[in-house]
Amino acid sequence: MEVMEVRDAAVVAQVLAGDQDAFRILVERHTRSIYTVIYRMTGNPQDTEEIIQEAFLRAYKSLERFELRSSFATWLYRIAVNRTLDFLNAKKMTDISPITENPDPEARAEEVQLQSAAPGPDRLLLSTEIKSRIAAAMKRLTPVERLAFTLRHLEGKSIEEISEALNLRTDAAKNSVFRAVQKLRQQLAPLMSATK
Amino acid sequence: MKHLTEEQIVLHCFGDAEHSTEIDQHLHACSECREIFNQVKAMLASIEPTPVPEPQENLEQEIWLKLQDRLPKRRPSILQRIFSPHFLQARWATAGAMAVLVLAAFIAGRFWPRGPEKTNSIEAAQLDPQRVVLVAVGDHLERSQMLLVEIMHTDAKSSIDLSREQAQARDLLDANHLYRLSAGKKGDPSVEAMLDQLERVLAEIANAPRDLGPRDLQEIQNQVQSQGLLFKIRVIGSKVRQEEISSHKYSENQRL
Repeated sequence: MEVMEVRDAAVVAQVLAGDQDAFRILVERHTRSIYTVIYRMTGNPQDTEEIIQEAFLRAYKSLERFELRSSFATWLYRIAVNRTLDFLNAKKMTDISPITENPDPEARAEEVQLQSAAPGPDRLLLSTEIKSRIAAAMKRLTPVERLAFTLRHLEGKSIEEISEALNLRTDAAKNSVFRAVQKLRQQLAPLMSATK
Repeated sequence: MKHLTEEQIVLHCFGDAEHSTEIDQHLHACSECREIFNQVKAMLASIEPTPVPEPQENLEQEIWLKLQDRLPKRRPSILQRIFSPHFLQARWATAGAMAVLVLAAFIAGRFWPRGPEKTNSIEAAQLDPQRVVLVAVGDHLERSQMLLVEIMHTDAKSSIDLSREQAQARDLLDANHLYRLSAGKKGDPSVEAMLDQLERVLAEIANAPRDLGPRDLQEIQNQVQSQGLLFKIRVIGSKVRQEEISSHKYSENQRL
């Protein structure tokens, strides 16, 4: 067992015994480790900080359920991922603005057709356009698909880790990753052919 | 020929598909499936992780300030306090640590080396605590020196994981604090000043963020270098070793 984990367990014990301030040690140790994954999902520092707070609050309230032998960092990561999922679900309910002005993928591909593939201002413009289209396509995924895809493709988590973090069966986690890629392909395929 | 499903192709791109050998064989033989596989690969390659901006420096403090008022008070029952394995383990660990610290403080405060002075021969023969302290201080300085040497040799360009060094620094901090207080009490300003500098550097290392950047590491290295800390530790460490040897000889002579 790692030194850090031994110490985390001792701090958890202190908090459980009534020392509320000891929880600060856990906040100071683990805030940055969950910041990255949450930021990747929200793309916004304010939302990220809000979710971090919620994740720690949930962890504090469920501390009795934390098992001494497991890793506090992994346990908190799972809570953070689920808080992010809740946040995205809530946001989806209130977010009714259209993501793109032109929902027709073929028409959008035509907008970015370029004559030359040589590097230059046009090429840079295309790269910026691709990034914004990828961001828009990501927003069209369901929160679970988006999280599963982000964890698998961008965070390099295994299917087992994803299924554990999202409380899904392995098959369901695989399916979420697949559906995310399938939707992204549909959204981005015309754009990809435009860059060839 | 039966083609692969889109799901098989996508999952194979991540290495998550079942029967991957058969899929590889099929992709080798079937240009249609291979084209889809390459398309998916190309699309995934275009989706790179966006760089996450460095969060504000005092993020942890901000989070804690907002959080602490929202934490409900915890009032564990007496039974829970007594029988909780967490509680017992922590209490035993704390009690053990406290006992060691109290003992160390007692010995360090009472017998901090003040140069050779005449001691009661019976006491010296029975316990020789001065030598115990000298050995402990010498050991502390040696461990600190090794830690700082490791830090100074860490390459600031490569990825930096100082978790092991940080754990060592945390261990050394408590003892250093006690030795510094004892040195101050016994009027040993050079040792006290060196231990004070060492304590600051140890605290810096122990409290550094887990994802330490090259610039942070460079700052710590500069701090060690600019104060000539390693040199001071070596000089005082060797002085302590000398005193330890003298003390040993002195008590041996007293016994004869």
